[in-house]
This record gives sequence, C-alpha cells and structure tokens, in this order.
Amino acid sequence: MLTNTFIPEDVSPNPSWVILDTPDQWLRFSQPVGDDPKHALVQSSLLLDDLRCAACSGIVERGLTGLPGIVSARVSMSKKRAVVVWSPDLILPSNILSAIQKLGYSASPASHNENQLNATAKSRAAFWRWLVAGFCMMQVMMYASPSYFTKAGDIATDINHLLNWAAWLLSLPVMLFSSRSFFSNAWRDLKFRQISMDLPVALGIGITFIVSSAATFDPSGWWGHVVYFDSLTMFVFFLLSARLIEVKLHSKTLGAMEALVSRIPENTERQNLDGSYTRVLNSQLNVGDVVRVNIGEAFPADGKLILGQTKVDESLLTGESTPIHKNLHDSVVAGSYNLGQTVNIVLETIGESTQYGQIVNLINQAAIEKPRLSQLADRVARPFLFFIILSAVAAAVLLWDIDHGRALMTAAAVLIVTCPCALSLATPAAMLASASAFVKRGILIRHLQAIESIANIDTVIFDKTGTLTDNHIELKSIHVKEGCAELDSLALAAAIAQHSMHPVSRALVTAASQSELSNNVAFELVDIQELVGAGMSATIKVHAIHSGQLKLGSAQFCITGHETIPSADKRYQQVYLADDHGWIATFNLQEAVKNNAAQAIAQLNEAKLEVELLSGDQLHTVENTAKTIGIKQFQAACSPSDKLLRLQWLKQQGRKVLMVGDGLNDGPILASAHVSIAMGKGVPLTLAHADYVLLNGDVSQIPQLIRHAKKTMWIIKQNIAWAIVYNTVCIPLAFFGWLSPWQAGLGMAISSLIVVINALRLTQFSTVQFTDSSSKA
Amino acid sequence: MDILFILIPLSVVMALVVLGGLWWAVYRGQFEDIEEEGRRIFEEDQE
Repeated sequence: MLTNTFIPEDVSPNPSWVILDTPDQWLRFSQPVGDDPKHALVQSSLLLDDLRCAACSGIVERGLTGLPGIVSARVSMSKKRAVVVWSPDLILPSNILSAIQKLGYSASPASHNENQLNATAKSRAAFWRWLVAGFCMMQVMMYASPSYFTKAGDIATDINHLLNWAAWLLSLPVMLFSSRSFFSNAWRDLKFRQISMDLPVALGIGITFIVSSAATFDPSGWWGHVVYFDSLTMFVFFLLSARLIEVKLHSKTLGAMEALVSRIPENTERQNLDGSYTRVLNSQLNVGDVVRVNIGEAFPADGKLILGQTKVDESLLTGESTPIHKNLHDSVVAGSYNLGQTVNIVLETIGESTQYGQIVNLINQAAIEKPRLSQLADRVARPFLFFIILSAVAAAVLLWDIDHGRALMTAAAVLIVTCPCALSLATPAAMLASASAFVKRGILIRHLQAIESIANIDTVIFDKTGTLTDNHIELKSIHVKEGCAELDSLALAAAIAQHSMHPVSRALVTAASQSELSNNVAFELVDIQELVGAGMSATIKVHAIHSGQLKLGSAQFCITGHETIPSADKRYQQVYLADDHGWIATFNLQEAVKNNAAQAIAQLNEAKLEVELLSGDQLHTVENTAKTIGIKQFQAACSPSDKLLRLQWLKQQGRKVLMVGDGLNDGPILASAHVSIAMGKGVPLTLAHADYVLLNGDVSQIPQLIRHAKKTMWIIKQNIAWAIVYNTVCIPLAFFGWLSPWQAGLGMAISSLIVVINALRLTQFSTVQFTDSSSKA
Repeated sequence: MDILFILIPLSVVMALVVLGGLWWAVYRGQFEDIEEEGRRIFEEDQE
C-alpha cells in the first residue's frame, strides 16, 4: 500500500517537545487508561493541523499505529483532533509529535483543561436529556393514540387505566430529569423577582403533570379523568430541541476560534547564568529572563532584542502578513513568529498582561459567555405572560367556592391551552434556523441577539484595508521612456523584483507572469542588492539597450539627474526603474479592490443604508477606492480615535451603526458599534470583539446578511403575533369551559408546530429575491 | 383483549431497556462525532 511508505523508520525527538516527556507535563493533555498497573497506558488528545482531505486521517492513523508503543490512534477529521493511546514504557510524547511531523502534519497537545472536559460532559448531558424526552415522547404518544381514534367509552375502562399508568410511568423521566432545567430556572427567576419564559413553562408542565397524574390514579375524583401526558412530553421535547441546536451552533463557532488559541507557545530556551540554555515552560519565565528564540518559533512574551536582528511575522496581532524587520533593541511581541534568524530577547512583559495574553483571554471569555436569546421575546411576551398567569389564577379563585375540581381544571385548561409553547418557541426557533443558514454560508455569529441588532441598522461604516480591498497591491499601468517597450521594462523590473519579498516586488512579478512577455531579450543580472526602505539595485550584463547599474524603487533612489519624467500621479503608489542613462519606466500600483465590493455597496445603497468609508490611508488612495466602488461619503487619514469620534457622533444623531473592519486598530470601534462584522482573515483580537465573522471575507455577503436578518425579525414578529392571536381566542374559550381538554392539547400542539415550520423557512438564504434586485441595479 | 394486560406493561419494560441502551451509547461517546464514522466506511481496511 502506498501509505506504508510514510511510516518513518527512525523517529528522533524534536528538541522543543522534549519538555513534554515528563509525566506532570503529559498529564496536562492526557489521562491514564487501562487497569493493569504494570503496563500503564496513557490516552492523549492532540490538535492536528494541515489535515486536507479524508485520506489524511488514515495516513496519520496508520503512521502512528506502526510505531512501537502506540496501542491505538484515532483521528477525527471534523474536530481536527487525534486521540492516541500509548505506553509510557516504550514511547514518549515527543516521539509521537515528531512522528506526526514526519508524516507531513503538525500537531500540538490539545490543552485538556477543565473547561473542555466540562464542555464535553455538559454537551453529553444536554444530548441525553433531549434523547430521553424524545424517546419517551414517542412512547407516550403510542399510549395516547388509542384515545385519538375512538369515541369515549369504546376502550374498556381498565385498559384505559393501564394505558394512562404506562404513559405516566414514561412521563416521569421527562418530568424529573429532562425538564429539570426549566424548574430550576423558574425557581431562580422567582428568587430574583423576575419573570421569564421559564416560569409559565414550569408552571404549565407542573400543573399539567399534577392534573394528569391525579386523573390517572383517581379517575373518578374531582380532577377529571383526562390525561395530557402526550402534550406534556411533546412540549418538553420541542423546547429541548431548540436548546440543543443552540448549544451546537455555539460550539461550532467556538471551534473555529480554538485553532488560534492553540498556537500559544509552550516552551522556550532560557539562558542560564553560565551562558548555556535550558528549555523551560513559558509559565516558568520571569520578567528580565533572557531567552533564545529559534527560527520558526513564536516569541513567548513581550520583550526587547538584545542579540541579533531578524524578521518577524506579527500577523496574529496586526493582520499584516508582510514580515517586519527588527533591529537590535527593537521590541517584539508575544505570539509573533521569528522568521529571520535565531535571536536573544530579554523579557519585559509576561503572561496575561501581554497583548497576546489579552487576546487569548478575550477568546476564552467568548467561550464562557452563555448564549442568550433576543430581548424581543421577553419584551413582547412578558406582559402577556402576566396576563396568562393572572387569568389562570382568576379562573381558579372565581370558581373555587362553587366547585374545587372545576376551579383547578379550568385553571389547568387555561394554562394548557395557552401553555406558552408557541410563544416561547417563537423567537429561538426563528433565530436558530437563521443562524444555521449563516453558518452554512461561512458566517459565524457570536450571539443570537446580533440578528436583532443587525436588522435595525441604518448606517454601514467600512474600514478600507482588507475589508474592501484584497490584502495585496496590483500593477495598474506603466509609463516608459520613448523607445522602450512596456513589456520589456516590466520583464526587466520583474527580473530584479523576484529576488525580494516586498509587496511591491511581488505585484510586479505577478503582473509579469500574467502578461505575455517576449523572451527574445536576453540579459543577466548580477550583484543584486536590496536596500531596506529604498529599493533594489543590480548590475546588468549583455543587454541591447540598457547597461550599467539597474535600479528599481522610489524616486529619490532611482532618479539622480534632472531628466523629464511623467509627473507623479497621486492616485497610485509609484515605483521607478532606471539605469546608468537615467529613467526607463514608472510603474503605477494600486491596492486591488475586491471583486464584489462595488456590487455589495450598490445593494446597500439600494436598501436605503448610509455607507461610509473611514480609513487611515492617504486621501488620494481612499478617494480612489471610494470612487471605484461607489461610496460617496469618506474620510481619509483617520486615526483610530478619529474613527471612534465619528462613530460616537453618528450614535448621537440616533443612527444605528454597523461597523465592518478587520485590523487591530478597529477593535475598540467594533466593540462600541451597534453591530460589527469582522473578516475571517483578520486579527484574532478583532474577531473576538465582532458579532459576526465572515470566514471567506466576501463583502457581498453583507447585504444578504442584513436582508436575512430583517426577514428573521419579520418571521419572529409573525410567530409572536400568531401565538398571541391564538391565545386571545383560546383563553376565553378555556376560561368559560367551552374547550374540552383534548381540544386544548391539540390546539397547543398545532400552534407550536406552525411556529416551528414558519421558522424553518429561514434555514435557506433567500437568493432569488437577491438576484432580482441586483439585476435592476 | 386480555393480552393487553401483559403487552402494555411489557412495552414499558422494553422502553426502559431501550433507554438503558441509549444511555450506554451516549456515555460511550457514540454520538460525539457522527460524520467521522460515516466516512470511515469508505476507507481501505487497515492491515
């Protein structure tokens, strides 16, 4: 088999992982398994990266099980995790990690902290609760079904009793186990003198169960002889289904963020007093320690370079993927990557007070934050809930003196018929259906209230870089000296530029590879040099027209004489090419605008939304971008505080603002806007602040998102209106005893089904309407 | 119809047995990762 060739023959530990080889370290991501004390086994969970296809998991599994000491290895593609059972006598964690690396994947210990263990236990418990309710509901329905199809008296009384007892027995788990959270929440609300959906739900379930139980065991008593176990279990099952889906969606959103957190550096080489280095855990580092950071490693804490100079990748913090040059005594930040060479730094800030630590904290906070539903349901429903409870109490009080049994039955009928199922499902069902549609489209939503907020906005503010433009620049036009061909100059420029990683150089190389260059001009470049901040130079050999030193870069760097060159065009970033005879060509470059940006803006304008562009870039660049995509209102050279001021001014005008951004500087603005959207490739700090994250960074999804949120709110209003109309019709009927209890139960079931089915319309994005309106535009 | 006096209690017992089975499945982690196990069928057998 092909995959067998991947099994590494000689697995030697990678130095940075050796620290994991002590039991107290491996127990942070592992747990002991097995009973035999002589051959103790350990089960570890590892976070895998670079899993590309389904076959990858097979490769890792086979590669690992081929090693001595590995008992079993299972890889989950969807969770990007591997669970490995191994024997500490034969193999060590560092060997396992190295083996995975040799297979072509990267692995890190999945921090097996309490939170995650609790999360698994909680999600299992929630699922089990739901399953019990669902299974018992089906069984109780079976016992109830004979009474649906027969006239009263058709079934023998004793068989009817038996069916009721059976139904009662199987309703017990639903009452005592599955619906426990409703009762505990209702009790908590009562203690805090609040009223929420849980109180009437708990009351409804409780009274229905008591009345039905009494009818089961004392059918001739004043409770009546009709049981409602079917309505009861179905009601609980519907409510639990909604809660389960909500929890699943929430954990899906968090899963996308977990990969960011797992990048935290685990250990570093610290310099000892005698000058040697020892690998220590990052948690053991102190301010003032000197550590050595190798190429490819992340800096463990904020600090200052004291030996060597290097390039670092700070994309985690700034979103800027271009490596940044760091000289001696420059500061480096925790979580950024060392790309240049091995350097020594002295630590200044450690742990949670570093910028990186704060990001991790924010993400963890997002994980702890409990999902909450819209305030709308509570706001609209609360007065109504009072009304329901009051009318039930009134019915009981009014009839109590006449007939105890009738009094309680009427109160129960009022509660059953209104049993606020439809009302309590109205909002969550619609919001969850909508959120699942978002997730399918690659839009993560952090909390469900954001659907309500985004439906109400009237102003959209864009931050230019990375939001409306792609994160690279492209060549727009070329001016050349008379007698030179544009393409030849481009070929020449690209030949120099390919030796540099500067964004401008990469744009030139890309442009050259895309245009059809004639390869008839032979030349050779030697002595290529890059001057940071100025440009590049090279000596040219064997060329028909140009000779001597060739320069590519800024005007000051390239142009020495007083020759005439085309005047600078402010709209573009310009790069010059020159040789010993002077100027050859000018390349005009511009940030590439995203494909769908203009279309998205047009749709937003059409939806009567004010669109603004606030950017930290220069006026002419911003003006140009705004014109290209059709934004009329823009402001250039904004500092983060300028943006914040503008936002606060808009808020004072009573505007509801949606902020779309992705840079680190946007963090505070995103947090203070009414709603915020971040691009998926943005900065983790920003992602943690944003209400929505567009994973694929496609701006054209924003108008669709707003449209869908509006539709969601419309459906929620329909649902609530329906529930209220239904209840206002049925309460009087129940109040005056005109509604037989089974009719009440049926009405309740149908009313909640209508609500759920209406909400399910939201699971698909309404694209038809969308294309109609865009073709008009 | 006397058979119902046995069948109805029996159905309750069976329901409880099934519930027990489901409990075992949930807490053995059968439902933790539904997609993965479905995909595994399409893989080549391990040696």
